[in-house]
Amino acid sequence: TVSGQPLPVSVLVDSRCVAGGPELVSLLRLRHGMRVQVCSLNSCHFIVSNRMAVERQPQSEVASSLNRKRLADRVQGLQGLFDRVCLIIEKDRIKPGDASRPFQQSRYYDSTLALLLQAGVRLLFSDGPEETAALLAELAHLEQRKGQAVSVPTEVTGYQQQSLHFYLTLPCVSYVTALNMCHGFRSLGHLVDSSLEALMSGACVSRRRAEEIFRCLHYPCDVNMLPDAAACRKHSP
Amino acid sequence: MCMEASRSPVSPVCRNAVPPYGHLIVHERWRGSALVGGFKGGVKAMFEEQLGPVDVQFSSAASLLYVSESDLVAGNGYKRKLVKFRNSKAGLQGIVVVEKTLLSSQYFPAVQKFVVFQLGLTLLPVSGQTEASRLITQLAHEMSKETRQNPFVRKSTLRLSDPLVLALMLKIPGVGRAKALTLVQSFPSIHQLSHASVQELRPIVGLTTAQNIRAFFTQS
Repeated sequence: TVSGQPLPVSVLVDSRCVAGGPELVSLLRLRHGMRVQVCSLNSCHFIVSNRMAVERQPQSEVASSLNRKRLADRVQGLQGLFDRVCLIIEKDRIKPGDASRPFQQSRYYDSTLALLLQAGVRLLFSDGPEETAALLAELAHLEQRKGQAVSVPTEVTGYQQQSLHFYLTLPCVSYVTALNMCHGFRSLGHLVDSSLEALMSGACVSRRRAEEIFRCLHYPCDVNMLPDAAACRKHSP
Repeated sequence: MCMEASRSPVSPVCRNAVPPYGHLIVHERWRGSALVGGFKGGVKAMFEEQLGPVDVQFSSAASLLYVSESDLVAGNGYKRKLVKFRNSKAGLQGIVVVEKTLLSSQYFPAVQKFVVFQLGLTLLPVSGQTEASRLITQLAHEMSKETRQNPFVRKSTLRLSDPLVLALMLKIPGVGRAKALTLVQSFPSIHQLSHASVQELRPIVGLTTAQNIRAFFTQS
């Protein structure tokens, strides 16, 4: 940012999100100059830094009691993978011909907001895709200023693809952490041999997450603890 | 809403004030307002003049500031109030409730940017005092509950790592369930497997898979 012009910042967008509203990706690219990589993130809608996931939900979904379980599962999953979780609550799109009805904040909606706040989720409010894109860009730039921007290439090819799938199976490894792992270590063996400190810096994760990954890589599996232990005994010589 | 009343700095007593159970400490200026009139479900207001920039004090850990439509339309004065609010409650959870109406919605993105990104506070939009009143009731209600009842808080469940190791081995090309289960008996951890030589692996999984496993860990 020497010239005052910020460097392009990467944002990872879930492919399912693109199917739902392609204009958001165009807005991020063209209006906000972001480097957008569409990939199958599954767990969340957007990743704006090494530690922050952003979820986008229509206001009516947050207000609906039928969706609380699903939203809660999703938020809990994100908290397992990311240090920071943001939820952008977007005003529902009004279909052409439908009369615009003002949104009534129900008691249920209020309590959902209160619970999300208590759970440490950052809430942001948007009137539509344009505002959502601006908020995403703002978040990504803020994270960049804090030295947390996605700094590795967002494409993986050949062997790295296999490693990526292996890394994604590790506990508390998000898509961006797996990407960092692909680019931060010479090989899978190199990562497996790494110390806790090397894991932290190579994968850009907190000590707590590095510890969990380290423990998993060194954990001696006991066949008798596997659900199919019986099947295993059949195969043993 | 006038700020002249808060000329004196927040007294230490009020800054650390903890309202009694079921009560919120509300600034004197809100007495008789719709904001307080809508409190329900056992939430009661106690009025206090010495709250400084704070409008509602939930607990020692959370306080709230109300920004009205007219504050927004009047200009940038509300920003000073927000900064004061942020500085008065160092390290606590600060919630800013903003009136988002037809008239003030054009100012909303700028306010949100300032409150969330620059000040690091939480912002919640409401349509007016009545709605804010209901929201405050819910906030007070949820804050008084225990965190483990919150469905959005991740429960730290102890997960068995054994199936996880097996799942990781299954990610190696050429290794299926049967081979993984045999491998695990000689090389119980990923770390141990990564150091296994082709010679060691060959009798267990055959030459091709042995070479695959070796390549999987060493290719760059």
